[in-house]
Amino acid sequence: MLHSAISRLASALSMLFVVATLVFAIQVVIPGDPAELLLSSAGSTPTPENIAALRVEMGLDRPLLQQYVEFLWGAVRLDFGNSLIDNSSIGQTIATRLPRTLELIAVAMSIAVAVAVPFGTHAALRAGGRLDTAGSGVSALFAAVPVFVIGTLLILLFAQTLKLTPAGGYADFGSAPIQHLSNLVLPAITVAMSIFPIIFRMTRSSVLDSLSNEWVRTALAKGLPRRAVVRRHVLRNALGPVVTVIGLQLGILLGSTVLVEFVFNWPGLSGYLVTAVEQRDYPTVRAIILVVAAIFIFINLLIELLQMKLDPRVQL
Amino acid sequence: MTITSASANPSSAFRFPLPRIHPRLRLPLAIVAIVLVAPFAVPPLLGIDPNAMSVLERFAGPSLAHPLGLDEFGRDRLARVLIGAQASLRVAVISALISCTIGSLIGLFGAYFRGLAGFLSTKTADVVLCFPPILLALLVVTLMGPGTTTLIWVLSIIYFPAFARIVYLEASRVSQLDYVVAAKALGARPRRVMFRTMLPNISGPIIVQLSLTAAAAIVTESGLSYLGLGVVPPDPSWGQMIRGARAYMERDPLGIIIPCVAISLTIYSVNLLTDRLRDVLDPKGLSGGIPILSPRRPKVQAAPQSATLEADTVLRIDHLDVATNTNGTPIKLIEDVNLRVRRGRCTALVGESGSGKSLTASSVMGLLPRGVNVTAGDIMLRSHNGETIQVTTLSGEDLEAIRGRDAAMIFQEPMTALNPVYRVGDQLIEAAKIHRSVSSAQAREEGIEFLKRVGVNDPVRRFDSFPHMLSGGLRQRVMIAMALSMQPGLLLADEPTTALDVTVQAEIIDLLIALKNSAGAPGILFISHDLGVVAQLADEIAVMYAGRVVEQGPAATVLGNARHPYTRALLQSMPAAHEELHASRSDTLPSIGGTPPLPHERPAGCAFRDRCPHAVSVCAEVRPDLTSVDGPDHLAACHLTRGSAV
Amino acid sequence: MIEQYNLLEVEKLSLGFGGGNGLLRSQPAMILRDVSFTIGQGEIIGLVGESGSGKSTIGKAVLKLLKAQEGRIRFDGVDISDLSEHDMRPLRREMQIVFQDPYSSLDPRQTVRGILSDALDIHRLHTGTAREPRLVELLDMVGLRREFLDRYPHEFSGGQRQRIGIARAMSVEPRLIVADEPVSALDVSIQAQVINLIARLRDQTGVSVLFISHDLSVVRFISDRIIVLYLGKIMEVGPADLVHHAPLHPYSKALVSAEPRLDQKSSRIRLTGDIPSPLKPPSGCVFRTRCPFALPACAEGVPELREVAPGRSKACIRDDIDMETAA
Ligand SMILES: Nc1ncnc2c1ncn2[C@@H]1O[C@H](COP(=O)(O)OP(=O)(O)OP(=O)(O)O)[C@@H](O)[C@H]1O
Ligand code: SF4
Ligand code: SF4
Ligand SMILES: [Mg+2]
Repeated sequence: MLHSAISRLASALSMLFVVATLVFAIQVVIPGDPAELLLSSAGSTPTPENIAALRVEMGLDRPLLQQYVEFLWGAVRLDFGNSLIDNSSIGQTIATRLPRTLELIAVAMSIAVAVAVPFGTHAALRAGGRLDTAGSGVSALFAAVPVFVIGTLLILLFAQTLKLTPAGGYADFGSAPIQHLSNLVLPAITVAMSIFPIIFRMTRSSVLDSLSNEWVRTALAKGLPRRAVVRRHVLRNALGPVVTVIGLQLGILLGSTVLVEFVFNWPGLSGYLVTAVEQRDYPTVRAIILVVAAIFIFINLLIELLQMKLDPRVQL
Repeated sequence: MTITSASANPSSAFRFPLPRIHPRLRLPLAIVAIVLVAPFAVPPLLGIDPNAMSVLERFAGPSLAHPLGLDEFGRDRLARVLIGAQASLRVAVISALISCTIGSLIGLFGAYFRGLAGFLSTKTADVVLCFPPILLALLVVTLMGPGTTTLIWVLSIIYFPAFARIVYLEASRVSQLDYVVAAKALGARPRRVMFRTMLPNISGPIIVQLSLTAAAAIVTESGLSYLGLGVVPPDPSWGQMIRGARAYMERDPLGIIIPCVAISLTIYSVNLLTDRLRDVLDPKGLSGGIPILSPRRPKVQAAPQSATLEADTVLRIDHLDVATNTNGTPIKLIEDVNLRVRRGRCTALVGESGSGKSLTASSVMGLLPRGVNVTAGDIMLRSHNGETIQVTTLSGEDLEAIRGRDAAMIFQEPMTALNPVYRVGDQLIEAAKIHRSVSSAQAREEGIEFLKRVGVNDPVRRFDSFPHMLSGGLRQRVMIAMALSMQPGLLLADEPTTALDVTVQAEIIDLLIALKNSAGAPGILFISHDLGVVAQLADEIAVMYAGRVVEQGPAATVLGNARHPYTRALLQSMPAAHEELHASRSDTLPSIGGTPPLPHERPAGCAFRDRCPHAVSVCAEVRPDLTSVDGPDHLAACHLTRGSAV
Repeated sequence: MIEQYNLLEVEKLSLGFGGGNGLLRSQPAMILRDVSFTIGQGEIIGLVGESGSGKSTIGKAVLKLLKAQEGRIRFDGVDISDLSEHDMRPLRREMQIVFQDPYSSLDPRQTVRGILSDALDIHRLHTGTAREPRLVELLDMVGLRREFLDRYPHEFSGGQRQRIGIARAMSVEPRLIVADEPVSALDVSIQAQVINLIARLRDQTGVSVLFISHDLSVVRFISDRIIVLYLGKIMEVGPADLVHHAPLHPYSKALVSAEPRLDQKSSRIRLTGDIPSPLKPPSGCVFRTRCPFALPACAEGVPELREVAPGRSKACIRDDIDMETAA
């Protein structure tokens, strides 16, 4: 158990290393000079002198290996350097903005899981029934609407038309808790709606699969009450895939909240990222992406460890 | 031998993906075709110009000339939304195709050659999958600048790993199958094996993934365009239209709703196609396998026969009919089966695959698969307090009360009959704890005692093992201990030794023989296809063929003086019965030609007649009844046994 | 049947799986250890053993579908142990395989015609107008009607599929067929048909067969000689009838007496305990943990497979066991 946990940790770390290398390498491999791109995004055609000066400032004139080592070493210390645009510390900005994104994801995921898992379970237990049809219909509908469209439509309905919630914005929880929460409602529901179909479907199919296992027949044959069979021999075994998909979605959400934050003006990582992309602030972009990928890898590691606890057969 | 039924062969349903379109796919395919073609065909047909502005008519409502009205610059919305579709669809379809091609090739090569190629194909996918898709896209956009070409590349990069992974997994699975091994054994070159043998057999999942990817690409494209980082003006795209319309949201909700609906409808139609494809490719998904947890058993006509069981009998089945009704027309799977199991004795049910042995046992437990029902007959079971229970009239909870306690069951596959996530001991005493509410400590002690009784060495350690730590033989012992733990009057054993090795099978048979001879032994209904196994255990034998009992009687009589041609043929075709014959002397084993008929094609008259060497004309017309031959206990269903011997 | 000529010679074959994988390097788990045997021209050799004993592995190693770690395989006098896949290709025509599972052994997307044609195409046999008659001839050979040519595998019963698999193997006129449990998945009444077919094909074409099965009575009927395998080691080799009626090795004896028979003999050797994991076989004689005759000495050396009577060998250190009275 400990042995395989350690080996998973090692493989996660090596994955992280590969990802960091890749983030660094993309800049080298992809045609175009970051410095030139940065300057031309302002509109004017940059002079060679300007470009050269910026290259020095960005450290692009130094040998590749040195740049690489400095980048890695910085990343290990969570020091990602300064923004090319306003020279602020990238690490610091991430530290203030990341928690807001994580809060949004955590609340949204809790809502989605709380609704989708019981719903999916009941749909599977009465496959073909009314609840099942309703659930499949709702999830087909939600799955068809991109998350920013959901957000936009919710704003249109609740903020513009019904005027129940603010259309967007952010307030600090410490100083204005009510305001903070009312700002959180729409974006959280938007995200929750966008992942509902995935969790619902996975729960449903996983429970259905689990139902057809032969040990369910054994449990029935020994006279366990229906409820005990469902709880102990169906749901317990259906848990694994559901947990995996939740973990995967947590990771993907780190990316797709970009859109939701943008729609609702939620000042998480996204506003920062989108501005950085627009302004071609490559160091900032790659720092954010590295942090997100690291969280993603870490979540997956946790999920794997959890799976080992859930199923005694899963070892190494 | 039930191969021709569609459900027996999942892959058969999707043989011709293109020429013969499955009915369930027609509607979604038509919709998707319209969605794909309309944006390119309609604007030239209508002759409307998406860029013609009439500023005076800004935000004009729908009219005949402009069915969807005009936008903030007075441009025709219908034209705009259709033109917007062009950009989105082009990007989505091209990138889906690119990622499909690249990913499939990587996955296929990886699975075929394994080693380094396999490692690379899985690891590339893992690495790319570490980036949430939108972020990866943003990373590339930062460096390459927005635009359609960038988008196509970005989306291809994002989505190829999923293809690589799926194709790798599927191809790896297929490459283990015997027909692929056969191709290699024939000396086929790798290219032939990969593209001619493997690829067609994994085309299903690839097509599903393609359609999934197309939908995902539309979503991602529109998201990026919405952020202003995807398709750039002047090319219109849906994401951009929504972005543009946001500013006028209050004044002009329609402006934002139209592209939102357009996007959603498109994705909905592609998703619908994907879902249907999945259903068609994997018919199991539709019925959900064999969930036995049917909410409530439909009650059979109340059979208030106040008949009671003879004193020495624990189970009697009278005139049992079991039928399925999946396609509207009821098909009888079991017809007119009569059986009796006596206390401490063993009745064996013998027959080939599909003859209805398992269904008979499942009927007793009330565990018939969904869609299969008892349609006639009585099943009478002795309860633990000596009363006679009419099983067919019981509903859910009453059935739960008899299962395990009055009738327990063991199955063929000890590997899958135990839940892998619980310790075997916990599963062993689970029912006892619920039914008798004994304390955990006491239940544990009893459980260990039962393990000892079924010959498990080191029962204390085994009690705390997980199923995967035990061998097949041990697991079957655990199953037997579990069945005995509630001291049932009847034990149903459905091929309990078939999956075991001969030496282990011999041990389990010895165990069952010892059980039969012990005090307070249950009656055993033993199901097997192997007459040799049956010979060692059974006191009485019933031979089933095509859903009916064709011969029945005391074991020694049936085995030693079989009268039905089928029973005789079965006995004759056992190689063990012919030690004097040998292939090197050009001997042949006596054998029956042909195969048993499937339930829906059972002929009138005797079901065995196509294979019967003695068939006469009456056999085709009249179904022979079970009638006594030789003595009152020995029954056979054959026209020839009535008068003279066969 | 007297074999003048050894078509296949297998010498000290050892094969294992796993090992050298990723960070955690481990010893490969040896599935076969020092397996040696020969198959004569036109001979049917039966290979019996319980699950996990390595029967299929031997079959695949002989066909070079698996790579053995050690040992030599000579086919028709040619050492094929180290041939590359490319050099093997022409030889593949000479040695074919028939599988156990009638469901997975045929490509579900090809008709019988496609399946058989593929085999002929690979070796460019019977091309053009010669193709059709050949296909019909092949179906005839395995007792199927020619109308079946354009049907798909799922339209056939298990026994019929098995015949198609045999036709595919025979299509390239091989000299050796590895039949890996070809009748185990079939019902008794169908089993006899397929066994008779294989025996007949051997008589007609002189093909040699390595017939793998866990059913001793099937193997006794069809094979000339029997090899008894336990945990990757050969326990006994001898003429089929003799191994069956008067086994020399305790394990063969146990197998014979475990066979479920109609006329139940009261005498039986009962093995106790489970088959050890092939990954951790016992030291010395691998059968030691279940052998009723085991002595302390059995744990010391691995018993050699030695000839104890003309044409009969066993791998057991004891010669003093009287099987009849012991039983
Ligand atoms: N859920 C079902 N729906 C429709 N038909 C079924 C179902 N289950 C079984 N059958 C059919 O009923 C017949 C009897 O099946 P059963 O499982 O009782 O056979 P069996 O004698 O136990 O065979 P085996 O030896 O393969 O276990 C078969 O033709 C089978 O195809
Ligand atoms: S009734 Fe006729 S066909 Fe049926 S078994 Fe008897 S003789 Fe054969
Ligand atoms: S060598 Fe010893 S343990 Fe092995 S079979 Fe012979 S007597 Fe038994
Ligand atoms: Mg059965």
